[in-house]
Amino acid sequence: MSEAAIEIKDLRVDYGDFVAVQDISLSIPYGQVFGLVGPNGAGKTSTFKVLTTLMEPTYGEVTVAGFDIFESAEEARQVMAYMPDLAPVPSDLKLWEFLDFHADTHRLGGRSARRERVEECLRTVNLFEKRNAWCKELSRGQTQRLVLAKTLLHRPKVLILDEPASGLDPLSRREMRFALQGLANEGATIVVSSHILSELAEMCSSLCVMNQGRLLASGSAEEVRRELGRTERHLGVVTFGDPHEVVSWLGDRPGVSEVKVDGCKVGFQFQGEDVAHEKLLMELVNAGLRIRSFEEESSSFEDILVRVAEGNRAE
Amino acid sequence: MNKVMRKKPHPAWMLWANPILKRYARSRLRPTGLGVALLMTILVAGFFFFLMREGFGRSALSASDVARAPLIPLLIIQGLILFGLGTGQASAGISMEADEGVIDYQRLAPMTPMAKVLGYLFGLPIREWILFFSTLPFTAFSVWKGEVPLAGILQLYAVFVMGALLYHLTGVLAGSVMKNRRWAFLTSTGLVILLYLVIPQAAKFGLVYLKYVTIYPVFYEVYPQLLARPLEELAAGYQEVIPPARFFGLNFPQYVFTLISQGVLSLAMVMMLWRRWKKVDCHLLGKVGATGLFGWLQLMLLGNALPLMESGDLFPTREFSRRFGRLINPNKTSWSPESWEPTIMIGLYGAVTLGFLWWLTFVISAESNGQVRGWRRARKFGNSKLPVLSDAATSVPWTLVMAGMGTIGWFIFADSLATSHWFPALSLLAVTPGAMFLILACGGLGLNALLEWIGRKGTGIVVILAGILPIMLGVIFAVSRDELIAPGVWLAGICPLSWPIYGSGVFFSQEGMPRDVARAVPNAYWFWQGVAVLAVIWLVTKLRESRKRISELSKEF
Repeated sequence: MSEAAIEIKDLRVDYGDFVAVQDISLSIPYGQVFGLVGPNGAGKTSTFKVLTTLMEPTYGEVTVAGFDIFESAEEARQVMAYMPDLAPVPSDLKLWEFLDFHADTHRLGGRSARRERVEECLRTVNLFEKRNAWCKELSRGQTQRLVLAKTLLHRPKVLILDEPASGLDPLSRREMRFALQGLANEGATIVVSSHILSELAEMCSSLCVMNQGRLLASGSAEEVRRELGRTERHLGVVTFGDPHEVVSWLGDRPGVSEVKVDGCKVGFQFQGEDVAHEKLLMELVNAGLRIRSFEEESSSFEDILVRVAEGNRAE
Repeated sequence: MNKVMRKKPHPAWMLWANPILKRYARSRLRPTGLGVALLMTILVAGFFFFLMREGFGRSALSASDVARAPLIPLLIIQGLILFGLGTGQASAGISMEADEGVIDYQRLAPMTPMAKVLGYLFGLPIREWILFFSTLPFTAFSVWKGEVPLAGILQLYAVFVMGALLYHLTGVLAGSVMKNRRWAFLTSTGLVILLYLVIPQAAKFGLVYLKYVTIYPVFYEVYPQLLARPLEELAAGYQEVIPPARFFGLNFPQYVFTLISQGVLSLAMVMMLWRRWKKVDCHLLGKVGATGLFGWLQLMLLGNALPLMESGDLFPTREFSRRFGRLINPNKTSWSPESWEPTIMIGLYGAVTLGFLWWLTFVISAESNGQVRGWRRARKFGNSKLPVLSDAATSVPWTLVMAGMGTIGWFIFADSLATSHWFPALSLLAVTPGAMFLILACGGLGLNALLEWIGRKGTGIVVILAGILPIMLGVIFAVSRDELIAPGVWLAGICPLSWPIYGSGVFFSQEGMPRDVARAVPNAYWFWQGVAVLAVIWLVTKLRESRKRISELSKEF
């Protein structure tokens, strides 16, 4: 078996004179949840369309689960699944019919075997009770979950999900995150895109940041942060006691700046890597200050993306 | 070695197991929807069945003659269901999938492209097929009680089913190309009307082949058997004057030739759809396929027309006189075509050939976007030239080859007319073959260069301004006042579609034309041909520059 679930080499996608994806090379190992981040128009969807054989690139080499997607597109399609952005569903089918049709295209056995699998997937996404409803009657979040169930049907080795959490309420987002992490634990490779980084940072084992068709950085969250030269984040501490005690404790800590008090909450800017971040939190708790909660209000990732998006607008 | 076990995709021939077909059987054959449609169909079919039976039952006809009466109304109802509703559904259904976005799921489904084509072809109009089958018991009863020869009715229905498949393929193709479902529905309905009512009219003017895309030839052969016996004899007498299906030296039964003609066209459409499912952004036909199809169409046009020339069966006025004149004067046995007929027939042949050339040139010409992609890929693989047969390569040589093939076909047709014994006074000018090539090459290359240089939208605007508008203005001028006829002729001469018509007026006599028109046509023809040659040279130069620029730019990558 190939060592990487997905190998991309020198990928380029042009629409006339416009370059949507420019010379991207990536290698994603098996069992990873890989995040593709970038502002709108970064080239995420074009990259996904190529990966899923829906579009032929201008040039480049792509293998999925060891299959060259140009030479062996049909084999590659058997081991992958794709969930597009704003996932559509047919208006003339019921939920179980929609899934049964796709189970049939993947030849998942006879009628009863397919029914069993369809029901299993519907349960996974909490839609079993609605199996006899029409697809068109579902809410946005339910539609997303239904299409996720479709992508799970044939137990794909590689899942490619374009903005899967968009339109989902917080509970559905959490459920989807658990479902994806469960799949990754079972060995599936999941490539997921978003323009909202906080969605991805929590669930991805590695990330890459794209902008205007180019790959800005890739690797673990920490590596990406370091590569892009942004290690500062805005942190908040909520205390049971006097917030000014926290302020004076933070006063001469390395990397801490712009400390502000808002009621019982203390907000400040912190510059440092994840290890330093972790150390600061431990020391804060050990210092005997009565800490109620500690949160990262905006990460350096958001800052990175805001900077990137602002840069695009300025151009 | 890759350890992923590959399940074999559904074999295309196992239609009953085709997931797309089953999906549409599920959604389109739901009891409520199908029930209402079946009830309506059986009511309408039953109404006409009993109306005809009971209506004719009061006449002096025999019981078996009365039983035949509903056959033709039933055939019309079946045609409306399969050709009209079925084609519309095939086209609207596929464009709705594209509109909703679910078509991408089907693209990713691990099925062979052929299985997908067949799934959609039979799945989308599945309700219409069921409705059609629901009317067959009425037909079968009428055939049985009417003692209609089985061979004839089977031939008719074999062609009917093949025709339905051809139109459904047209619908699926229109739906695959059109973005908007309403446009797809309108286009496919328009195509059915065009194929059934407009194009076959050209068969009356020498383009006999075009009638074989309909069921008319077989219907005319069989329909006397569908009538009451007293009428059957009359119709059979009329039928004697119908020319047989002849292809060069071969004689075919009408149904065999119709099945072959429609079968080849269906195959070409299946090929186009197969290519689209194989690769979503490729041309509908490759360069060799398009050129081959053009050659096939020329062969069919000539093959059907030439054998009917010497006998005179090809000429519409002679046919008209022969069919109806004999009712007035039964003793007359010799009928001649009118002297102006060859001019019209040659012009029409050229116009239809130019139409085919435009269609296929449009199919194989790459816009700049496609050229850029092709070039960059070629550079990536270290090639300094585009592969000649690739979609991105220029279609100029292929357009020229088609123009050459069209010229040969057109000239053979014109020469055969001129040298036939019907028109001893006629002869073609020596410049005819060259002029014919210029008409086709200028028309074809002009479109080709526009498509490859400025793209489809720009070409559309040029077609409206230089193609449609002058014809409209010319016609308005010509009908408004006598003195404006000549300016109207000049104006309409800008449109390339008028060149073959004007050209045939120049190659032959202008007998029968009004004096003003006879003078204006050659002048307008030569003038606009001169302009066209210069314009095409300029366009091809611009195209060359544009392609060179794209090639140079691609070196950077």
